[in-house]
Amino acid sequence: MSAATQIAGKDLKLRLRDRSAFIFGIIAPLVLAFVFNLVFGSAFDATTGLGLDYGMVDLDQSEISQAFNDILEEVEADGVLTIDTYLDETSATAAIEVGEIDAYYLIEAGFGQGIIASESPTIQVIGDVDAPTSTQIAASIAEQYGTGVEATQVAIGTTATVTSSQVTPEFFESLSGDPSAAAFSYQLEDVSAATKQLDATTYFAAGMAVFFLFFTVQFGVLGLLEEEREGTLVRLLAAPIGRLSVVGGKAILAFLLGVISMTTLVVATSLPFLLNAKWGSPLGVTLLVVAGVLSAVGVMGLVASASKTAEGAGNLGAIVAVVLGLLGGVFFPLGQGDDLLSKLTFLTPHAWFMRGLADLADAAPWTAALPAAGALLVFAVVTASIGWVLLRRRLKR
Amino acid sequence: MSFTIGEGETYGLLGPNGAGKTTSISMIAGLLEGDAGEVRVSGEIISTRSTAGKSEIGLVPQDLAIYPDLTARENLAFFGRLYGMGGSDLTSRVDEVLDVIGLAGRSDDLVKEFSGGMKRRLNIGIGLLHKPQLLILDEPTVGVDPQSRNAILESVESLSDEGMAVLYTTHYMEEAERLCDRVAIIDEGKIQAEGTRRELVAMVGQKDRVTISGGGDLTAAAESVRAVAGVSEASSSDHQLHILTDDASSILPELLACVTDSGGTIGGVEVFEPNLEAVFLHLTGKALRD
Repeated sequence: MSAATQIAGKDLKLRLRDRSAFIFGIIAPLVLAFVFNLVFGSAFDATTGLGLDYGMVDLDQSEISQAFNDILEEVEADGVLTIDTYLDETSATAAIEVGEIDAYYLIEAGFGQGIIASESPTIQVIGDVDAPTSTQIAASIAEQYGTGVEATQVAIGTTATVTSSQVTPEFFESLSGDPSAAAFSYQLEDVSAATKQLDATTYFAAGMAVFFLFFTVQFGVLGLLEEEREGTLVRLLAAPIGRLSVVGGKAILAFLLGVISMTTLVVATSLPFLLNAKWGSPLGVTLLVVAGVLSAVGVMGLVASASKTAEGAGNLGAIVAVVLGLLGGVFFPLGQGDDLLSKLTFLTPHAWFMRGLADLADAAPWTAALPAAGALLVFAVVTASIGWVLLRRRLKR
Repeated sequence: MSFTIGEGETYGLLGPNGAGKTTSISMIAGLLEGDAGEVRVSGEIISTRSTAGKSEIGLVPQDLAIYPDLTARENLAFFGRLYGMGGSDLTSRVDEVLDVIGLAGRSDDLVKEFSGGMKRRLNIGIGLLHKPQLLILDEPTVGVDPQSRNAILESVESLSDEGMAVLYTTHYMEEAERLCDRVAIIDEGKIQAEGTRRELVAMVGQKDRVTISGGGDLTAAAESVRAVAGVSEASSSDHQLHILTDDASSILPELLACVTDSGGTIGGVEVFEPNLEAVFLHLTGKALRD
């Protein structure tokens, strides 16, 4: 075995004996992922999943109002939303208050007649103040239906004028065909990777895994400073081995601890009786794990190289890990728009790791993880290079 | 600074704290690069940039350089492998060294459970595990109890008997006197004087002092003793005869015979040899433990 692997093997033995790496690398992230999922899982899914529950109060009961009902039922059949029928506003409002539905449609009596008379009757959307997104979506559906109806009204008005025909519901239908098709269409899009989101369980499992990864690899990269503190670095440097072997031994251990920790967490959280997280393509996940661990080794290696003592490096490393974790959105999803925070988040390996996993969601092929893995490797190379320059100065002194 | 150490020779670097002993050792061991000059061990130039010659050097740092959470055997085996040892050779050599340092009975105990003296002995054991040509011991007895200290000094004596060159730094004068064939007195990073203890003492004009207690005609005895070759001064007072000589040990039988032959009686003899402490004080103007 090379000197570097000898050093890594010795350090691994020491780490296994003090058990701290085991606690930070496996127990803590597993427990926290479980707790986060338990506490925030439902709320997380309510904001990130579709989960649209609507009600319908149709006081008009005309063919035209029924056409809107038919549209909603079709969408419901696609699993996009649920729609429950209520007899009046009071019962629908009560349903909102108890959280059964996010919003309901109120179609007043005379709505159909108003359409035929080329008036502008309205479909009211009454929503839960705590579910603004769901309410907005409900309103958008109603608006799109209204836009379609207006277009049909114009066409019918023109035709009726030319033919001097009586405008009746039958006449309306004969010209427009299927009123729902004319009035409403929707499309579920496979959105871009930047705006994809993991389910709560996978999100928290991955978030905690990558968050604690940065603490776990510290047990490896801090080894050099600990050798210096314990006086053993002198003996290592006096031995007939290259200085790169000493540093390499520490890097190998950090990488090994990171991979063991991440692999254990991926497997454990995937178990149905634990969290049942859906990590995605095994090859893609492996790629992300390896690249993620390398980036963590690079970043924390840089922190260690820039520190004077093991204690200082430990403290600075903890700050860096927490800040990068928060900014990288491991505890809660950050905005994914064009704002500054959304851009800053991709200055962290954490965000790229989470994005890579999101890219693998919905049974995407392993190649979907390549952009994120590439970004993680860039982090690894840049930080490790700077760290090595600083370290060489230290070892030369 | 320039000096050479031969096979089987124990060479002492004697100087106060801050004199430059550890810095010198760091350069010899290839931990530090010197501004000028070179260090050769068995013909190989030692450098921080190369591993050449390093396997010929065994380093025992001043501070303990061992892993507390490994056993004594694991510590030895780990460093042995770094020096290219392995297999049954390593196992038998580890056992051998454990015997030498007196830790065979505690070989599988974690080092953190050891006493300070045991840790010191292990620290030395790691340095000599790979049978280096040159063993560097940097103040190996600092903070060690008298019993362990004596065991360490005995170990060092046996190493030079085996033909190993030993570079020993200390600020304990008595250790240097006991162990070292030659001593360099170092201060402010420079060798102030170098040689055997006797050469150094002679260099500064210090002489051995012999005091003979007794009775009879000590005045006549003093006159008789002055005629002995190597005696520079002799005087008597209060039942004592005081003699200054270059080398008391070589002429002591002749001195005693001289005293009895001239009518004196001998009740006791004390020999005071000038020590390196006095030499150091003479050379640097300060005490060794400053």
